[in-house]
Amino acid sequence: MSRPEIYSPEGLRIDGRRWNEVRHVRCAINTHQASSDGSSIIEQGNTKVICNVVGPGEPTGGGVGGSGGNQRAKDDNRVILTVKAVVAPFSTIDRRKRSGNDNRVQEMCLTIQHIFEEAVMGHLQPRSQIEISLYVLSQDGGMLQACINAVSLALVDAGIPMYDYVCACTAGMYDKEVLLDLNRLEENDMPFLTMATLGATRKVALMQLETRVGIDRLEPMMAAAMSGCHHLRDVMDAEVRKHGKSRLARTGV
Amino acid sequence: MADGDRSDEVDAEDDDDDSEDERLFSLDPEADGDARITGVVKGKHIVTPGELVTSDATWMRGHGTYSVGNSTYSSVAGTITRVNKLLSVTPLRGRYVPEVGDHVVGRIIDVGTRSWHVDIGAKQAAVLMLGSVNLPGGVQRRKSESDELQMRVFLKEGDLLNAEVQAIFTDGAASLHTRSLSYGKLRNGYFLNIPSSLIIRSKIHTLELPGGVDLVLGVNGYLWLRKHTQQLGEQGVSITRLAEEAGWEIYSDENEYISPSIRETIARYANAIKALEFGEVGVNEPRVVAAYEASLEFKNVGEMVENDAKRRIARQVLAARS
Repeated sequence: MSRPEIYSPEGLRIDGRRWNEVRHVRCAINTHQASSDGSSIIEQGNTKVICNVVGPGEPTGGGVGGSGGNQRAKDDNRVILTVKAVVAPFSTIDRRKRSGNDNRVQEMCLTIQHIFEEAVMGHLQPRSQIEISLYVLSQDGGMLQACINAVSLALVDAGIPMYDYVCACTAGMYDKEVLLDLNRLEENDMPFLTMATLGATRKVALMQLETRVGIDRLEPMMAAAMSGCHHLRDVMDAEVRKHGKSRLARTGV
Repeated sequence: MADGDRSDEVDAEDDDDDSEDERLFSLDPEADGDARITGVVKGKHIVTPGELVTSDATWMRGHGTYSVGNSTYSSVAGTITRVNKLLSVTPLRGRYVPEVGDHVVGRIIDVGTRSWHVDIGAKQAAVLMLGSVNLPGGVQRRKSESDELQMRVFLKEGDLLNAEVQAIFTDGAASLHTRSLSYGKLRNGYFLNIPSSLIIRSKIHTLELPGGVDLVLGVNGYLWLRKHTQQLGEQGVSITRLAEEAGWEIYSDENEYISPSIRETIARYANAIKALEFGEVGVNEPRVVAAYEASLEFKNVGEMVENDAKRRIARQVLAARS
C-alpha cells in the first residue's frame, strides 16, 4: 500500500518536517494600500490568506453615511469589530463553493472577533468601527491560525493600538507524538488543537480543540502549540520591522 | 515547553525571556532636554506592539503606549517620540488624527440640524456648525431661521470644502470652521486622496504651482487640484470689504471654463502625486514641483499610471533631495 506515512519511524512527517518544525511562513504587510487602512498576506505552507482592515471609521450599516449608522456603535463607547471571511471555492483540492453563511466560516469569524475585541484597545476609539475582511485563497490545514495571524498583521499595519500581536498555531497528537503546525493530511488523521497567544507571553487568547483527546496528552500539545505561536510572533515581528525600516527611510523629511 | 530537543527555529525565539533586557530601551531622563524639541530617541528605532519601551516609572505615558505595573509597552508599530518626560509612540501608518489648526479638505456626508457632517478621513466624521461658516452678506450677519432651512443651498451632500479644525471634542471628533475667505467650497478642480501620514505639515497648505494650477494640500491626505483663479483679495477689493464682497458665488456649484491644457496639467500633477504616494515619499510643495518636473519627460500624461513610471518619478524626487 502506497499510503504515505504520517510519521515515519525515522521521525519525519509527510512533507519531510520533524515533529517540532513549523511550515515555511511568508508574510507581508501593506499589500493593498489603496483599498484599505491596513492589509496583509500570509502563507503558512500552502495555506494562504489575505486580510484587509478598514477603519477605525464612522460606523456604517443601516442608513447612508454616518447619520443612520450602526446604532450599537453610536451608543457604545468602545470600537465595533466586524469580521467577514470569504473562502474561495478554488482553495481546496476539490472545488467546492461555500455559501456566505456557512456555519464553519461564521463560527470562525465570531471567534476572530472575540479574540481581537480583547486584543485591540477599543476604549481608545469610541463610536467607531473596524471592518476586517479575510480572503482564504488556498487551504492546506490551519485555516483558523492563518486567519488570526493575518488579522494581527493587518491591524498592526493599520496602526490600531493593540496590547500585542495575537499569534496562532496548531498542534496535533499522533499516537504518542506531538506534531506542530499540521497540514491538511495530518489534520484529517489526528486530534489537534488551535491555540492563539498574546505575543510572546503565556497568555492564551484562544484554545480550540474539536476532537477527543486524553487529558494526559493535552499538555504536551499545548506546550508545542505555544512555542509555535511564539515562533510565529517573531516571524511577523521581523516582517513589520523590515517594512517599518523601509518606510522610514523613504518618508523621512 | 520543557522538552529537551527543539528545532532551531523554535529555539531561537524561546530565548526571548532571557534577552528581555536587550529590548529594553535605554532612555536617559537626564539627557539634553530642550523643552520645545520633539526628539526621536536614539535615531529612528522602531518599536512594535507589545514591546517593552521602558521599565522606568518616571516617564509619562503618551499615545501609542500602555503600562503594566511600572513598565511601559508600545501598542502600535512606530517610532518613539519624546517631549520632556512624555513618551509616546507615533504609528507608521494610521488614520488621520485631527489637531486644532489643521487645514483639511473634506466632503459633506450629511446635512443635520444647524450642522453638517464632514468626512475628513478621520476615525469619526467632523462637524461643521452653521455658526462656523461665512454666509453671503458678511461676517456680521446674524444667522436666522431661514438660514437653517436652506442649509442645503449652501452645502449639500457630496460637496467638497476646505476648512480649518477649530476644536476637538472629547471623543476625538473634530469641529471645523470656514470663517476665512481661503476656506470654503471647492470647485474648478480634481480630488484625490493619499495617506495622511505622507503629508508634511507646513505653514501654508494652499499652494500656487507652476502651470496655472493651485493645490489645496489637506493635512488629512485629501487633496484638491484646481485651476488657478484670482482670489477676491487679488481683484482689488479692499481688505476690510472682503467679507461684504463675498456673495453667493462662494457657494456656487458652477465650474468656470477650464482649458484642455489646464486640464492636462491638473492630470499631470495628480499622477505625479500618485507617483509620490506609490513610492511612499512624503509630500510637500518642493516635492510636488520636483515630481511635476520629473514627469515632464513623459509626453503623454497617461503613461504615468504605469508602475515603472511612478517608481522612476519617485526615485528622481528622492535623488533631488540629497
